[in-house]
Amino acid sequence: MSGTEAAAAQGGGGNNASEFVRKLFRMLEDPSHQDVARWGKDGDSFVVVEGEKFTRSILPKHFKHSNMSSFIRQLNKYDFHKVKPSTDGDSTSPNGNILEFKHPYFRVDSKDDLDNIRRKAPATRKPQVAEDFTTSQHVSVISEQLTATQQQVQQLQELFADVSQTNRLLVNEVLTLQKMLNAQKQAQYEMLNYLSPYNHNRNNGMMGHQMNSNGSMPTAEGDEAVPELRRARELLSSVPADTVADRELERLHDIYESPADSATMVTPVSMPMMHDPMNDISRYPVYPVGQTVGIDPFHSDHINKIPYAIPNEGSSGPMDQHQQHQQHTPQPGSSGQMNNAPGTSGSMDKPASLWGPKKPVVFLVEDDPTCAKIGIKFLKSMGCDVEHANNGAEAFSRVSTVGRDHFDLIFMDIIMPRLDGVSATMYIRQHCPTTPIIAMTSNIRPDEVNGYFEHGMNGVLAKPFTKEGMLKSVKTNMQHLLKNPPSQSDNGHGPGFLMNVPYLSTTGNSIKFESPTPPAGASGSNWSSGHMSQNGVDQSFGLMDGSNQYNISQNRGGYSTMDASSGRISDHDSPPEKRQRLNNSQRNYA
Amino acid sequence: MALPDDKELESILGDGVDLTTFKQILEMDEPGDNEFSTSIVFGFFEQAEETFERMDVALDEKDLEKLSELGHFLKGSSATLGLIKVRDGCEKIQRYGKQENLDGSPEPDADVCLARVKEALMAVKSDYEEVEIGLKKFYDKDDEDEDGA
Repeated sequence: MSGTEAAAAQGGGGNNASEFVRKLFRMLEDPSHQDVARWGKDGDSFVVVEGEKFTRSILPKHFKHSNMSSFIRQLNKYDFHKVKPSTDGDSTSPNGNILEFKHPYFRVDSKDDLDNIRRKAPATRKPQVAEDFTTSQHVSVISEQLTATQQQVQQLQELFADVSQTNRLLVNEVLTLQKMLNAQKQAQYEMLNYLSPYNHNRNNGMMGHQMNSNGSMPTAEGDEAVPELRRARELLSSVPADTVADRELERLHDIYESPADSATMVTPVSMPMMHDPMNDISRYPVYPVGQTVGIDPFHSDHINKIPYAIPNEGSSGPMDQHQQHQQHTPQPGSSGQMNNAPGTSGSMDKPASLWGPKKPVVFLVEDDPTCAKIGIKFLKSMGCDVEHANNGAEAFSRVSTVGRDHFDLIFMDIIMPRLDGVSATMYIRQHCPTTPIIAMTSNIRPDEVNGYFEHGMNGVLAKPFTKEGMLKSVKTNMQHLLKNPPSQSDNGHGPGFLMNVPYLSTTGNSIKFESPTPPAGASGSNWSSGHMSQNGVDQSFGLMDGSNQYNISQNRGGYSTMDASSGRISDHDSPPEKRQRLNNSQRNYA
Repeated sequence: MALPDDKELESILGDGVDLTTFKQILEMDEPGDNEFSTSIVFGFFEQAEETFERMDVALDEKDLEKLSELGHFLKGSSATLGLIKVRDGCEKIQRYGKQENLDGSPEPDADVCLARVKEALMAVKSDYEEVEIGLKKFYDKDDEDEDGA
C-alpha cells in the first residue's frame, strides 16, 4: 500500500512536490472541515482536531483510505514531526484528542517550500530504480531488434515472392520456347515433305536459301497450291512469341545483373544458370569409374554427365589450349580449302585419284581393332591419309596437338573406353568448330542419332559400315577437296535419305546421313532390324534437328533473352549449353 | 586371286557369314594374296577369344554391365566381318547385360539376366567355333589353290 502510494507520490505533480504533501496542503486549504483539520495557529504546523471524524470523512476524501495509522506513517516518512500538545488555553478540546504535526518547510504561506519535503531515506530504494532503468533500456533495445528482424523477414518474403515470380516466368518462357521448337520441327518436317519431290525441278541454291531463312518463305508464286507449305507456315505462326514475358524476363535479367540492387541475394543463386559452362567444363563429374571396355554416353546412368571428363592427363589443359588457339586463328569458315600446302602427303595413290591437289586427312577414332583395321583400309583405298586413335581421350589429345585444320574429316566411334565419342566430340568442337565429325556406331535409335547431332556431330555412319557408305560419307563431307566437286545434286540418291534435300548438298558442312547399304537381299540379317527401314524418315528429321544452323537459331532464341547483355552467343555454340537445354526437350521428338 | 563365287564361299563358310559383307573385306586384298583379310580375320579370332575369356570372368563376378559392354564390343567387329550369328549372339549378351529382354523391355531380375547371358554366351561360343572352322578352312583352301596354281 505504502509502496504504491510512495511511487505515486514520487512521480506525480506538475511541480516537484510529492503528491502526498500536496494532498495534505490541499486538504488544509479546504474550508469545509476546518473544524476537523486545519493549520496551526502560527501557520507552521497543522492540527487534526477530531481524530475519529478525520479518519472517517477526511482521509477517504483526500487520501482514498481510512487508516489513521497509515496516514501517520506517511507523515513520518516525509519527516513530519508530531508536536507535543501545548498547555496554552487555545485548546478548545479539553479531552486532549488533538494531533499536531509540523515540518520545517510545511507552512501555510509558502507553498513553494513543499518541494523541499522529501521522503526520508530514499537512498535505500535508489538501486532498484536504477535497475528498472537498465531493464527498460534492454527492453527497448530488444524491441528495436525485433522490429528490425521483422522488417528483414518481410523483405525476405518480398524477395522470395519476386524469385518465385521470376521462376514462374522462366518456366513459362522455357515452355513457350519448347512449343516453338516443336512447331518448328513439325513445320520443317512439312517443308521437307514438300521440297524433296520437287528437288529435281527447282533451283537448288534458291531452295537452300529459303531453308536457311528458317520459315520466312516468300509469299510469291502459288503457295496456296502447296498445302504442306501453308501448314508449315501456320504451324510456325501458331505459337506467338510472348513479347510481354520476354520483356519481363529481360527486366528481371537486368535486375539480376546489377549487384547493387536490392535483389543481390538472388544473384549468386541464379547466376550459375546463366553461367557459361564452357569455362567450367572441367567441373563435370567423372562418370563411369573403372571402365575398360567402353563408355556408352547415353547410358541412363550418365547421360546427364556428358561430357565425361577427360581421364588423367591434360584434364586442365584443354581449355587453355583451346583459348590460345581461338586467339590466333582468325576465321573458322574456310577450313581446309586454302591452307595446307598441296601434296604434303604421298602414300599409295593408285586409285585414279578422287581428290584434287590436297589429299584429305581422315581421323578414325575407333576402339575395336577389327573395325579400325577395316576402316583404315577402306579410307586408304579411297586415297585418304588416315590417322587412328583408340578412344576419345587419345583422339582429343591428338587433335589438340595438331593444327585445327589438320584433319579434314573425323569418324568417331561412340562407345569407347576412357572417353566416349560424344564427349570427345564436345571437346574437339571447342578446338575445331568446323571439322566434320561423323558418328560411327550401331546405336542408331532416333533419339541416339538426335543426341549425336545435338552434341556437335555432323553425320552418322551406321555400323557395320560398308565401303560404299563410308565413301559416300567421305565424299559429301569433303566435297571441297574432290577433284571434280559435284556441281549439283549428282552425289547419289541414297534411298530415302537426306542426300536428296537440296540445301544439304549445297551447304558443304551440314548434314549427311549415310545409308548402311544393308547386305543384299538378306533381310533377316539386317543389322538392328527394323530401325533403319522403319524409321528412316524419322531419323532424317532427327538429322534436321541436329543441323548446325538449326541449333544456332535455337540458341539465339533461347539465350538472347536469357543472356542478352553478356554477348556470349557464338556461332559455334558450346556443346554443354546445348546439352543443358536440349536434354529437357530431347524426348519430345517423334 | 579371283574371288570365289558365292556358292563356293557359302559352302565353305556356312550360314554364319554374311557374304556381301565378308566379300567387301576380301575385295580389299591386294591381287594375289589375302594378307589384309587374313590379318583382319585372324586378328578377330584373337579378339574374340580374348573377349570370351573376359566374359567368363565377368560372368563369374556377376558383372552384368561388363558383360553388356563386352557384348557390344564384340558385336561391332563381328558385324563388320559379316559374322552374323556371332553378332546376334553378342547383341543378346549386350541386352541381357543391360537387364533388358530381347524386345528392349527392362528385366529387373539380375539372376534371370545372368542365366540368360550364360546361355547366350555358350551359344555364341559354339557359333563362333563353327565360323572359325569355316574361315580357317577358307584360308587353307585358298592356300591350296595358290599352291596348286
